[in-house]
Amino acid sequence: MKIIKDKVAKLSFVALLVTMTAAIFYTPAASAHGEKSQAAFMRMRTIHWFDLNWSKDEVAVNDTMTISGKFHVFAGWPETVDKPEVSFLNIGIPGPVFIRAGSWIGDQLVPRSVSLELGNTYEFKVLLKARRPGDWHVHTMMNVQGGGPIIGPGKWVTITGSMGEFVNPVTTLTGETINLEDYELDNIYFWHAFWYALGLAWLIFWVKRPLFVPRHIAVSSGKADTLISATDRKVAVAFGVGVLVIVAASMGTTNEKYPVTTPLQAGLLRGIKPIEMPEPTVDVKVEDATYRVPGRAMQMTLTITNNGDRPVRLGEFNTASVRFLDPDVLEDESGYPDDLLAEEGLTVSDNSPIQPGETRTVNVTASDAAWEVYRLADLIYDPDSRFAGLLFFFDDEGNRQMVMVDAPLIPSFI
Amino acid sequence: MSASQSAVRSRAEAVQVSRTLDWMILFTLFFAVLGGYHIHYMLTGGDWDFWSDWKDRRLWVTVAPIVSITFPAAVQACLWWRYRLPIGATVSVLGLLLGEWINRYLNFWGWTYFPVNFCFPSQLLPGAIVLDVVLMLSGSMTLTAVVGGMAYGLIFYPGNWPVIAPLHVPVEYNGMMMTLADLQGYHYVRTGTPEYIRMVEKGTLRTFGKDVAPVSAFFSAFVSIIIYFLWHFFGKWFAKTDFISDDAT
Repeated sequence: MKIIKDKVAKLSFVALLVTMTAAIFYTPAASAHGEKSQAAFMRMRTIHWFDLNWSKDEVAVNDTMTISGKFHVFAGWPETVDKPEVSFLNIGIPGPVFIRAGSWIGDQLVPRSVSLELGNTYEFKVLLKARRPGDWHVHTMMNVQGGGPIIGPGKWVTITGSMGEFVNPVTTLTGETINLEDYELDNIYFWHAFWYALGLAWLIFWVKRPLFVPRHIAVSSGKADTLISATDRKVAVAFGVGVLVIVAASMGTTNEKYPVTTPLQAGLLRGIKPIEMPEPTVDVKVEDATYRVPGRAMQMTLTITNNGDRPVRLGEFNTASVRFLDPDVLEDESGYPDDLLAEEGLTVSDNSPIQPGETRTVNVTASDAAWEVYRLADLIYDPDSRFAGLLFFFDDEGNRQMVMVDAPLIPSFI
Repeated sequence: MSASQSAVRSRAEAVQVSRTLDWMILFTLFFAVLGGYHIHYMLTGGDWDFWSDWKDRRLWVTVAPIVSITFPAAVQACLWWRYRLPIGATVSVLGLLLGEWINRYLNFWGWTYFPVNFCFPSQLLPGAIVLDVVLMLSGSMTLTAVVGGMAYGLIFYPGNWPVIAPLHVPVEYNGMMMTLADLQGYHYVRTGTPEYIRMVEKGTLRTFGKDVAPVSAFFSAFVSIIIYFLWHFFGKWFAKTDFISDDAT
């Protein structure tokens, strides 16, 4: 019996080792940026991205593409997240597969952090230059100090070619054109190799003699002074003086070679200009809103008043970058990412045109698997169970109006 | 063989065993220090050491020597007071730099493709060699702390300048002036490191105009002296042999 037990134990151990070894061969590529894990209220109630455009789906190394669009800084910004007084327009990509050749909010280049105002809408553009071949999920992203990264929608972009062909030419203010990709690389390697060699020389000078046991015996028996010879002292002086001379000389020659240098540049950019959005003529009041967990659908009762002079219809509800469309009113032609587009996801109980001066109460349902896939259903576990989003109304001439909604959300489990 | 008998049978064999022990201890020491020092320095110096656009004349100069003089001081205490070996600082920094270069080359460049000229480590060896030389010549912890620690802090910026200066050449980019290092930080996207995290050129040290680096270096040198004392005592404490019953010391 004992033999059988031993054999079972041994085989189990071998099986465990084989399993663990096999596991290392399974290394799937990480293809997303945790956007679905970000708390739903963060995505719904902070930065609303819209009118996005990825200029290309496929781009060759050294070619450029842009991501452009608008973002609205939600006026009902949650208390649990620091306000976007120090923010940075970033881009969500897996490392520098593109270089960020430029980024603008409005007309302002934004290589530094910016201060954004709640309730404002801004236009942005990011210019990317392809560097590393592969299929990459390219997200819009706004980093907020004290709030963390707020990731926007992502779209797959393919880079073709070879990274070895990538160049990044830059002309300095001293008139020199360099390739930033490998600029001064030899200089860096040289100085690090030089100092490492000098450090090794000092080490070898000492370790070529008997070290630990005899020296410990000597120190223990009160003969420590005999362990450092006059030659050792001379060599040490040579090393010490040599180091100081090399540092001073190399600094001098460097200053001669680069007479013009400036400190690193930093600082917050204030006064970023928002878009002048027209005052909406449609007024929306949220009577109630529920999220039906089993049906993966959000239902709202809205009282809509049209104060304009043309009839309007509700065409889109946009929340957390998921776009729910009423296909009778709006079809997307921008190439928006499929997984974030519910082309028939918006149902309005009565979506006939609301005439000027008319007030109508309607039931609006936004339903799609995206609620579950993008973990927006987790909103009911958030510390402040509210939802927010953008409603887009269209008149008979195709003019668009944007209206923000922000209201409590009651979950329904039956 | 009883406990009282020798493990070796001749002087030649004793020398051979002693030498083997030397290499084993040195190898173990080197890689143990590499691991511990690397983690310590990455946690305390971190981004200042990772990226060229963090290597400024104010905070990098201040922080890097203060947080990096730690292990050299501790290892010096052990190797000097036990063995009269003045290699503690150099062996520590050699270990650290080997670990850092492996990390930067294989991970930062090989894995995530950040150019090496953007993520190379700071140079600490000039200060380490001087620290060892001062300890050997003085034989005094106090003098090593004051003179060596001071030199360690002061020599840091000029020791790195040949590598840093080319990256501080200015460039005009879409209507803004920045250094090439700033441009590297802007071009080579770090999703998890937004610009506002960068701690450069912060503080109230404005009285000296553009000559900030020497003042920062002096401040760093003074604090390095204190940190040297502290970590030297740590090293002495770790090098105790109280747990050996028949301790000759």
